[in-house]
Amino acid sequence: MAVACPAAVPDPDVLLACALARDLDRSFERLVIAYRSRIVTFVARMLHDDARAEDVAQDVFVRAYRALQTYTCERREALRLRAWLYQIARNLTYNAIRDAAPAAETLDYDDGNPRAALLDEGQGPESVVLHAEQWASVDDAVKRLSAAVRPAFVMRYLDDLSYDEIAESLDQPVGTVKASAHRGLLAVRAYLENADA
Amino acid sequence: MRERDVPSDFTARVFARCGLDRYCVAPSAIGDVFVAWRADGVTAVRPAADADAFEIWYGERFGCRAVRAVEDDPISEAARAKLRGEDVDVPIDLSMCSPFERRVLEKAAEIGRGHARPYGWVARELGAPGAMRAVGNALGHNPVPLLIPCHRVIRGDYTPGGYVFGGEVKRDLLEDEGVDFAALERVAREGYRFVGEDGYFCLPTCGVIARNFGKPGVIGLHSVQEAHEHGLVPCETCRPVAA
Repeated sequence: MAVACPAAVPDPDVLLACALARDLDRSFERLVIAYRSRIVTFVARMLHDDARAEDVAQDVFVRAYRALQTYTCERREALRLRAWLYQIARNLTYNAIRDAAPAAETLDYDDGNPRAALLDEGQGPESVVLHAEQWASVDDAVKRLSAAVRPAFVMRYLDDLSYDEIAESLDQPVGTVKASAHRGLLAVRAYLENADA
Repeated sequence: MRERDVPSDFTARVFARCGLDRYCVAPSAIGDVFVAWRADGVTAVRPAADADAFEIWYGERFGCRAVRAVEDDPISEAARAKLRGEDVDVPIDLSMCSPFERRVLEKAAEIGRGHARPYGWVARELGAPGAMRAVGNALGHNPVPLLIPCHRVIRGDYTPGGYVFGGEVKRDLLEDEGVDFAALERVAREGYRFVGEDGYFCLPTCGVIARNFGKPGVIGLHSVQEAHEHGLVPCETCRPVAA
């Protein structure tokens, strides 16, 4: 059926959702182009395995395509694409992590850790992470985050998703994802501080 | 945020798993053509007259949908370069062809620019000297004309023969590449099967040798035996006689 899209919509995701509703096959490449780098990066940060991340990221788009094939035009048009894709990426990444050998050691914020508590003072924690030049160290820190906080941290602070989008992706309350992202931030910050010491 | 580089074939791999191929429009010696491709190579080249007709034809022939590509990738870029006349390798996906068709097309792909070979030559090279009609059929089903130069296979009387884009287009393509049909007709009129020069004997369609026919030191030959009597050995490029 014909899909009527808003005449002037600034959000490219809304336009893309409309295009997917009109003709999935003809518009699907635009979805892949728009999100492939972000999804590969997100999955790689979650898995710490670039080669495997590419495979899982491919799975994300294939899964998305197959799901879109089953959706009505109205459902495609109503999709919040970013949150929806990250939700698929999160699920497939969890599956991949579950299928892999367990990590030996994980990093998390410990409320009883005086260093982490100290880091709450002074400049905001976001500025430390977002202005950090040492991306390799950030990646190392992310690698050590626990599975409980890593997705929320990566989506919020590295992929710039809103808390609403993260909550939708992770199927958790907004308050929970805020707490997880913050715990991840503090843990990463503590790791960077230690690395600099 | 710092994003990772995505492999250049990422989109093609995703599309392959979704059962979708892509196509673009590319300029070529015969005008604009549709070029369709998937992760393993180019699947089709057709004249770009009507996108809807091409998509219908593609779906019927390949059993999957081809959609207009948003961006090029290394495979389509290589195809574009080849169609512009550049000497580049282009991955070709012949998985929809029969094994015999693949062998015929791979043999045709060996024929260089400025050369032509008779249908019988292809059949003989494949070890099936009686299969000229089958060779013709296989070339007629070439899904990637121009990229695999099936137009370089002509009739034994040195006339162009059939072509997916028409016999006149075939003649024009070959003449643009340097094949001299007037010279070939001259050789044929005098009943010569080979042309000898510089210690070798060749098929008249081997490069520019037919054009040199009649010049000092370039002779026509009726048979292999006659070539041997002149002390000539077979050309290693056109392989004028069976090994």
